[in-house]
Amino acid sequence: MRTQNATAYRFLAPYLLIFSIFWVWPIISSFLISFQATRTVPWRFAPTFNWGRLIGDPAFFNALENTLLILVIQVPVMISLAIVMAVLLNSPLLKARGLYRFAFFAPVVVGEVAYSAVFRLMFNLDFGIVNKLLNSVGLPKIDWFSNVTPAMAVIMIAVTWRWAGYNAIILLAGLQSIPDDVYEAATLDRVSKVKQFFYITLPLLKPVIVFCAVLSIIGTMQLFTEPFLITERGGPGGGTETLGLLLYRQGFRSLNFGYASAIAYTMAGLAIAITLVQLWLTRDPK
Amino acid sequence: MAAVTLSNVVKRFGVYEVVHGASIDVRDGEFVVFVGPSGCGKSTLLRMIAGLEDISGGEIAIGGKVVNDVEPADRGIAMVFQSYALYPHMTVEQNLSFGLRMNGNPKADTDRRVGRAAEILRITELMQRRPKQLSGGQRQRVAIGRAIVREPQVFLFDEPLSNLDAELRVQMRVEISRLHKELGVTMIYVTHDQTEAMTLADRIVVLNAGHIEQIGAPLDLYDDPANRFVAGFVGSPKMNFMAAKVVGIESGAATVELANHRGARLRKPLSQAPPAVGSDVVLGIRPEHFFDAGRGDCDISVKADVAEHLGSVSYVYADAGDEELIIEREASRQRASGDHITVSIKAERSLLFDTSGGRIR
Repeated sequence: MRTQNATAYRFLAPYLLIFSIFWVWPIISSFLISFQATRTVPWRFAPTFNWGRLIGDPAFFNALENTLLILVIQVPVMISLAIVMAVLLNSPLLKARGLYRFAFFAPVVVGEVAYSAVFRLMFNLDFGIVNKLLNSVGLPKIDWFSNVTPAMAVIMIAVTWRWAGYNAIILLAGLQSIPDDVYEAATLDRVSKVKQFFYITLPLLKPVIVFCAVLSIIGTMQLFTEPFLITERGGPGGGTETLGLLLYRQGFRSLNFGYASAIAYTMAGLAIAITLVQLWLTRDPK
Repeated sequence: MAAVTLSNVVKRFGVYEVVHGASIDVRDGEFVVFVGPSGCGKSTLLRMIAGLEDISGGEIAIGGKVVNDVEPADRGIAMVFQSYALYPHMTVEQNLSFGLRMNGNPKADTDRRVGRAAEILRITELMQRRPKQLSGGQRQRVAIGRAIVREPQVFLFDEPLSNLDAELRVQMRVEISRLHKELGVTMIYVTHDQTEAMTLADRIVVLNAGHIEQIGAPLDLYDDPANRFVAGFVGSPKMNFMAAKVVGIESGAATVELANHRGARLRKPLSQAPPAVGSDVVLGIRPEHFFDAGRGDCDISVKADVAEHLGSVSYVYADAGDEELIIEREASRQRASGDHITVSIKAERSLLFDTSGGRIR
């Protein structure tokens, strides 16, 4: 058995070596870097330098607030929308189901840069289709990218557009695993379709909903592309800057790797904490 | 309580007709079992009675009222599903009371009905458990309990015991029988297991490929099957069928010769006009209707292949030309493999069929 294990590890060695160098080591290294002052040459060990700055940095709290705001509004809206989409996709009345399934999933396949560019165009003040539509129903134009609230809304709309279908497909798999005869039993019990949804579908779908929510929370905590490309580096005036963007700005624009590492670990810690709280809140009763 | 009447009921899925005009009269308080092989349409028929499948043609009446277009919940029926169909996230008590609670039934009445069902099925101590914490038999009890709390006029069972092991199946069979006596309501039960059908039913409906082959009391089907299909389906182990030819006709009787047993002839009295001399027929004999050599009307000799010793009886699987026969013998611990044994058959304990499967009486 020992010889067999040794052989297996020899086969695994190339992968483990590369994995350690490019994956495990950066994780450890960035943790160590977060305790160093990296704006001096050479770097020096200063345990409270970055973490102390983090606690009192208004830019960090601005990014944290923006990220949490997106998380609190966008994730529930997107998951609710995904549930509705999944239920519609699961309906026996739906024709051309495959086409809809593809259409809902397609945004995930579209390149991030391409879709961001399209969203910028769509919400353009003078030529964008959104403002044209608003005008056509008698509403005034909105300057989407010069004010914080509309800019934030554009980011939330874009992220929702991109990921709702993806979550709907995961939820659809969950819906299809609920046996038909449970609904038939409820029909015989004279339980209306609406009550069946709230009292049977939602509780039985809960593990899948939680899974989607956890994935979305982790994704939103790392949100970068949309504020970087759609609202031009977290504009206007940092109003849509997220933690991911702040990390990028500190690490790769200011080359302050120590502070960027501290931000990265804060993001990971927050994602884990929020996920744990959520798992605890939605746990099955004993 | 209510009678259930099916008049010329047809079911089509697209262009495929799966039930071809079924007519059945289930009397008030009767226990009727639909039995047949997989795909014979028995579950579809039950689901049409429940209202879970549309009716493509014909009429279904419950308690004298045509229910073709009546919602499932308004038909006065309750159904027990093969997979139990319990709500996995609810406790037993919530499972039992769910339908009543959703319809705003007064709490006192709901509690009374749930309590009564739990008592009847002896599941009172399980009320706070969830389905996954129950054994198969307990889940089935809860499923039946959910039907009881509806206080239906008709109970429908769709293969309720097929997910249980053999011992539990026997136990639940007795319980369902007891329940029928206790509640006295009409019950329609679907199964592919002819033993369940024989032991539970007041009357059995034998279905094959969407047609009703015969309706009758269990022993009537056993003693006097309408055709070869029913003869083969009812009884375990199944009836033996032996190729034969009519070699002589006398007044009220035909003499047949068994094709795989040279010279073995049997004179079979008939009440109908016998088939012509020279026509091929099939002789049906149940495993338990072989007698010791010389005790019947005609002896045959066969080579025993395998013997199954069940304790009280033994089943000998014997080779006779291109036919395999199953012969029930008194318990014997002797090895039978390869032995030649001689058994006797009696005309009165045999059935005659034509080659298309119809009975010749």
